[in-house]
Amino acid sequence: MDFQAIADHLSVAQVPGLLSVELPRSPDKETKDKGRSGLPYLCVEPSRIVEFLTFCRDDDALGFEVLVDLTASDPSADDENLWILIQLLSVRHRQRLGIKCLLPKSALSMPSSTKVYRAAQWHERECMEMYGVTFEDHPDPRNMLLPDDWVGYPMRKDYEFPKEYHGISCE
Amino acid sequence: MLALMQNGGGALAQTPNEGTNFLHELLLWLPLPEWIPGWALILGAVGAGVGILVGLVSLIALWSVWMERKVSGHMQCRNGPMYAGGWHGWAQTIADGIKLFQKEDMIPIGADRALFVLSPAIVLASIFGALAALPLSYDWYFARMDLGIFTILAIGSTTTIGVIMAGWASNSKWSLYGAMREAAQVVAYEIPLGIALMVPLITLGTFSLLDASALQSGFFGMGWAIFQNPLCLPAFIIFWIAALAETKRAPFDLPEAESELVAGFLTEFSGIRWSFFFMEEYAAMFLMSAVGAVFFFGGFESPATYALRSAGMEGTIVFSLVCFVTLVLKAFTGVFLMMWLRWTLPRVRIDQVMTMGYKYLTPLALICVLGAAIWEAILHVVLN
Amino acid sequence: MTSPPQAEHKPSIRPADEARTLPSGEREFFMDVATSDLEVNMGPQHPATHGVMRVLLRTDGELVTGAQPHLGYLHRCAEKIGESVEWLQYLPYTDRYDYLSAMNNNLSYSLAVEALMPELEIPRRGTMIRMICAELNRIASHLVAFGTYGLDIGAFTPFFYAFREREWIQALFEKICGARLTYSYIRIGGVFNDTPPGWLQEVADFCDVFEEKWQEYYDLLIENHIFVQRTANVGVISEEMAYDFGLTGPMLRGSGVDFDLRRDMPYLEYGEAHDAGAFKVPIGTGEKGTVGDCWDRTQVRMVEMMESLGLVRWCLEQIEPGPVIGDVPRVIKVPPGEAYVGIENPRGELGHYMHSDGGKIATRCRVRAPSFVNLAVLEDLMPGTLLADSVAIIGSTDIVIGETDR
Repeated sequence: MDFQAIADHLSVAQVPGLLSVELPRSPDKETKDKGRSGLPYLCVEPSRIVEFLTFCRDDDALGFEVLVDLTASDPSADDENLWILIQLLSVRHRQRLGIKCLLPKSALSMPSSTKVYRAAQWHERECMEMYGVTFEDHPDPRNMLLPDDWVGYPMRKDYEFPKEYHGISCE
Repeated sequence: MLALMQNGGGALAQTPNEGTNFLHELLLWLPLPEWIPGWALILGAVGAGVGILVGLVSLIALWSVWMERKVSGHMQCRNGPMYAGGWHGWAQTIADGIKLFQKEDMIPIGADRALFVLSPAIVLASIFGALAALPLSYDWYFARMDLGIFTILAIGSTTTIGVIMAGWASNSKWSLYGAMREAAQVVAYEIPLGIALMVPLITLGTFSLLDASALQSGFFGMGWAIFQNPLCLPAFIIFWIAALAETKRAPFDLPEAESELVAGFLTEFSGIRWSFFFMEEYAAMFLMSAVGAVFFFGGFESPATYALRSAGMEGTIVFSLVCFVTLVLKAFTGVFLMMWLRWTLPRVRIDQVMTMGYKYLTPLALICVLGAAIWEAILHVVLN
Repeated sequence: MTSPPQAEHKPSIRPADEARTLPSGEREFFMDVATSDLEVNMGPQHPATHGVMRVLLRTDGELVTGAQPHLGYLHRCAEKIGESVEWLQYLPYTDRYDYLSAMNNNLSYSLAVEALMPELEIPRRGTMIRMICAELNRIASHLVAFGTYGLDIGAFTPFFYAFREREWIQALFEKICGARLTYSYIRIGGVFNDTPPGWLQEVADFCDVFEEKWQEYYDLLIENHIFVQRTANVGVISEEMAYDFGLTGPMLRGSGVDFDLRRDMPYLEYGEAHDAGAFKVPIGTGEKGTVGDCWDRTQVRMVEMMESLGLVRWCLEQIEPGPVIGDVPRVIKVPPGEAYVGIENPRGELGHYMHSDGGKIATRCRVRAPSFVNLAVLEDLMPGTLLADSVAIIGSTDIVIGETDR
């Protein structure tokens, strides 16, 4: 199935949490929209992500067995949302699916996908330390790459680089 | 010996000529004045013996290390050491030895100092003791022992104690693993090793290495045990596998297992202490190969010794030298075989080592002994 | 500096009636003595971890009862750097995550950026050179995997043989781009420059020699009885487990899943090459043990080397003179948009998620590193094996720490 067919299938099935379908679009001068090249993706409600992913995994027509990637993105310091980006892959049907969840920076918390895909576990740990997103019910919420006593969330756009770390000057 | 203690140099001439060896001959040959006390003579003789042994072990280690590097190098499309000393890096091991001597003597903070210091000494002492029982030629030996092979196996196996001490004293978990593996492995493989050696012992009918060698002198110097009894060949293969395990050589190098246990029981050792373990390993390889050569492959006997004996040169220094060279060549063929295996095979796992030792090698060795005994019985009792 | 908190230590004194079944299938012999497990750090400096990784092992004698990988010793903030340097400036950083297959890393990054630049045309010769380089690099990377796996199992010599051939490939790369490890040769829009004269013939010569050598290596190590005993039925990853952990590349194919991005989601000219029969996708069959054991994974890597050779040969037939790089300005401005592109790296799917807001610098540069994902399976795979098996399992995942930590 191509992306449009997947999106239609999901709408018809009335999957919980599906908000909108974002396709690449060309620039529009009148509305000063810069357009968007690249790949299409689905917008999903963060709180329903577990049900959504479970459906994607278990539905025969979709069959997304593999969670390829789960990460976050901070589009800009002014943006009020943080994006959670999920890439799914179906080995059976040779298809991919991009999912985006908008998470308000004021409440950075969403359910953990680890129960659906074990692969999400380490990705979520990385997200937690880098962006400060809390994944509820995560089985092992320790830091993945950073030291355990690291202050701040380095991948956020408003992150300020520390002046010193344990007596080591960073300037 | 007691007479020597009491009467000093004067007693030398009266000492009965049994158990004569080259140290004894040396003492006889030297123009020693009569007033030298007996204890000084014995001390001197012991000192000379120890000196010769240490020199021997060092030479074996020196040569074997260079050989190992060259063998591994050429098997791996490299040259090995090429610079030190000029010709094919012959002085590389000496240079390394000097470096190791100069290294800082380090003992880890949490280590059991006494055991840590003692363990290389025990390991080295055990190999010295075992090598002392190995005759180098028909009249070059430290002691004429009727139970030579027993002595070698008994003293040689005390190496394990040193290795376990080293692993325990290091206060490192990896070292402990290495020590435990060594203990398990050596206990498992001493049994087939000893039983497999029973086959040539039955065939030849002696425990003495000198006698064993002399008994294989038939058929133009090729009357080796391996040709005397068909079960000697499987027994030798079992002996050889067990010897590999005893000397911690690949594919049985589990106590060291550098990819698993960092360096096993050697992890915390450095400098000269580390090199002691290294010397032990190479000397043990030589010893095991020499024992195999003596009991399976004719010992000092070869067509060369046969020719010399026919020419009536037995007892001369040339004959002794040829015997010595024959044994050394045979032993180093074994050492080469060990190196060849090491640089070819992957390492086996500990449970596979145990399974092989207890479930396969031990019963097979027992069957070999039984078969050899039946063969000898048929040969000597029925056919005689 | 505060020491990182250790995993919670549970003194596990087991009651005597809890005898376990050992990997050999036998019941544990239990004396009525209370014992506690030994916790031991494999790493950060350990020969089996192929870099600076730490696996906290809990062992009962030789039996591993728990394993917990700790990463981050080689974290170099690659993603953060990606958000602070220009598009082309970031290319050399991609070399550094999986330093054994830098060409493939360059390719993944370039493809991700090109996905955001729809009007950029990549000339066919450039694509062909990209494919040759990527496949040669795959061979070089698998050679290291093969050699170091031999080291893990205790065989030294295959390592030297593997590095001899790898040296040849590196010499070829040195001729084409001047670097031996970190190439930065595949650029956004094509490749940096055309091949030097006679280079393609040298690649063809390499292919002929390597084919013979490969058989030698296969017989020396992969078919070796001790090697088979050490790796068959060890570290079995079932198909479901492979999906669940998101494994890709040889790890996934070793579990018997017939999936290769080069064939099933073609990029470059791989689709055409597959239609022309230039390569097949090897999968684990459980020939020596169970499907998805360490032997299967290693064998898949070995066979992949030969398939890559077929691809290189196909490219050498197809390649024609022409330009090698499209019309790329010195300072690249990428149109706004987001793209995720995953390609088949030697270790699995290397994905780049790139987000541009139309400027000279990426807004988000995400690297989906295959080693990072593949490593997560250790936690489940290692308990219940012997210590030596755990080394075999780490080796069979073929991780590069530069990539797990990025």
